[in-house]
Amino acid sequence: MIRRLSLSSRLALLFAGCTAVVSLFAGVLFGRASEVHFVELDQQLMESRLTVLRDTLQGADTLESFTRRLPALLLHLNQQPDLTVRVRGPDGHLWFDSAPSLPEQLAVRPGLGSLQINGIDYRVLNPIPDTQNAPRLTLLLDITHHQHFLQRMQHLIWMTVGLSALATAILGAWAARSGLRPLRRMSAIAASVSADSLNARLHQQQMPAELAELASAFNAMLERLDDSFQRLSAFSADIAHELRTPLSNLLTHTQVTLTRPRGIDEYREALHSNLEELQWMAQLVNDMLYLAKADHGLLTPRREPLDLGREVDALLEFYALLAEDSQIALTREGDGQIAGDRSMLRRALSNLLDNALRYTPGGGAIKVLIEETASHVRISIENTGAGIAAELLPRLFDRFYRADPARREGSSEHAGLGLAITQSIIRAHGGQIRCEAQEGVTRFVLELPTIKAGST
Amino acid sequence: MKLLIVEDQAKTGQYLRQGLSEAGFTTELAADGITGQHLALTGDYSLLILDVMLPGRDGWQILQAVRSAGLDMPVLFLTARDAVEDRVHGLELGADDYLVKPFAFSELLARVRSLLRRGSSTTQETHLQLADLRLDLIRRRVERNGQRIDLTAKEFALLELLMRRQGEVLPKSLIASQVWDMNFDSDTNVIEVAIRRLRLKIDDSHEHKLIHTVRGMGYVLEERAP
Repeated sequence: MIRRLSLSSRLALLFAGCTAVVSLFAGVLFGRASEVHFVELDQQLMESRLTVLRDTLQGADTLESFTRRLPALLLHLNQQPDLTVRVRGPDGHLWFDSAPSLPEQLAVRPGLGSLQINGIDYRVLNPIPDTQNAPRLTLLLDITHHQHFLQRMQHLIWMTVGLSALATAILGAWAARSGLRPLRRMSAIAASVSADSLNARLHQQQMPAELAELASAFNAMLERLDDSFQRLSAFSADIAHELRTPLSNLLTHTQVTLTRPRGIDEYREALHSNLEELQWMAQLVNDMLYLAKADHGLLTPRREPLDLGREVDALLEFYALLAEDSQIALTREGDGQIAGDRSMLRRALSNLLDNALRYTPGGGAIKVLIEETASHVRISIENTGAGIAAELLPRLFDRFYRADPARREGSSEHAGLGLAITQSIIRAHGGQIRCEAQEGVTRFVLELPTIKAGST
Repeated sequence: MKLLIVEDQAKTGQYLRQGLSEAGFTTELAADGITGQHLALTGDYSLLILDVMLPGRDGWQILQAVRSAGLDMPVLFLTARDAVEDRVHGLELGADDYLVKPFAFSELLARVRSLLRRGSSTTQETHLQLADLRLDLIRRRVERNGQRIDLTAKEFALLELLMRRQGEVLPKSLIASQVWDMNFDSDTNVIEVAIRRLRLKIDDSHEHKLIHTVRGMGYVLEERAP
């Protein structure tokens, strides 16, 4: 049940509890203090009266001498109706009792005490006699009014405790509600977020310090969602677009071919042309499936020890003819060992080399540099050429992204998925890929964990 | 050479059958798992082409039945599923090869021929010959019309592949895999360049061309009527 309480209710209850405890404590303290104070007052009063009584009974050693002083005592007592006096002789005989209705034997100890007889509270003073022969005095002071006062005060304390707790609960609830308003604003925005409104953001400046962090995390989450969603919808749109072009070619070409009888060569030509479109589409679908697998974490590379130098050399040999054709120098420097999937890594590297060959002008150079550090093997593939504008670098690995929008449509190249596939493969190996471009040089840098780092 | 195709999609099955028949194979087609298994166990086939998802019994069950009946003909799986576990599962059960749809027919044909060749004991050849082109496998020499031709190691490997499988259309992916050991879908024109260079040495100075491009499918080495 407690779990389901709202934050405002919790805070209000906590406030009320705190107030109750504090006021109860203060009340108890105050009650104690006044009680002590009353005892002191009573003592002073009774001691001063005791002095007067002692003066009056000065020298009354025997019952006779006491009887002589009795009228003065009675006179004195008449002026103080709240005081009861008992006098006993030195032998313990009761000489005088101003209130015979009280029981004869009182449980009294020497000094100051209190008693309750017949519902009336008394303060009792039982002083030690001055001399051996002096009469023993017992003074009883009616303190009912004090007790009444204390009782009233106790009621007051309980009432204060209850009322202040109630008041703070109400005020606390109000304070908590207004204090938590930014939180409600946040949840209102969160509730309003849908696929169409991912651009809503919280104003961090308006948030209290405690919520600023949450708000910024929330905004960052929205940012990421927005970004992923944009990419996703762009991806779907791109797929549709990429498939639409070859499909429309196929449709048009087939329909046109079938409109009238043609020679066998024309049919053959039409089928060949269709075959090209279809192959391109099959390649696209295969690439997309590969990426989809990577997205779902189904790309699980084998971990066989690989000599990167040898792998790169094999690839360079594969591309050597192509490079020779455009007089591009292909070189490798350095060596390294990793645990990885040979065919996946070959695919990843071949995409980069293919890319490099495509963008390196004739007479240029492509250099593969392998460096091994304690935790990583870094492979840099560097090519001369115009380079890529810095603002395009972050989008380079996006699906269907082409640095040069003019290249495309029906070309036999990868539909702009090559770098995305390379990135997926490198990531599946626990590595990183980035692209750096400077004046005249483009460099793709791959970082893969070494065998030791990869196996832990 | 009698092949069995078990494929429930009528169009796919029909085209496969037509393609393989035209490539010189005798083929039979079963459209469901139960017929397929019955035929596989009773007919005397040199090779089975099985779809994984089939009504009645799936491709794996057929494969199991075939293997437990002691039949050891090669089995090639065709499937739209491309999960690694599937592939491993199929190969564990004794499948010999695996092709994921969509695939190129030339690729299928090349693999079927490889599988059929695997079984037959090839005598250690020392020479390969087509028309006036002659390959000396021991001395790694090539002659055409009696004239020696110098080839690089890769060019020799490429020509050897074409010679060994003369008359077959070899897709680019198969060439990349056999000659360079590159087993990925590569759409580079490396193979085109390699073929162009080989042609320059083998064909260009001769009126009678031996290396032919089959557009959209690959390359073939054969003697064609002028």
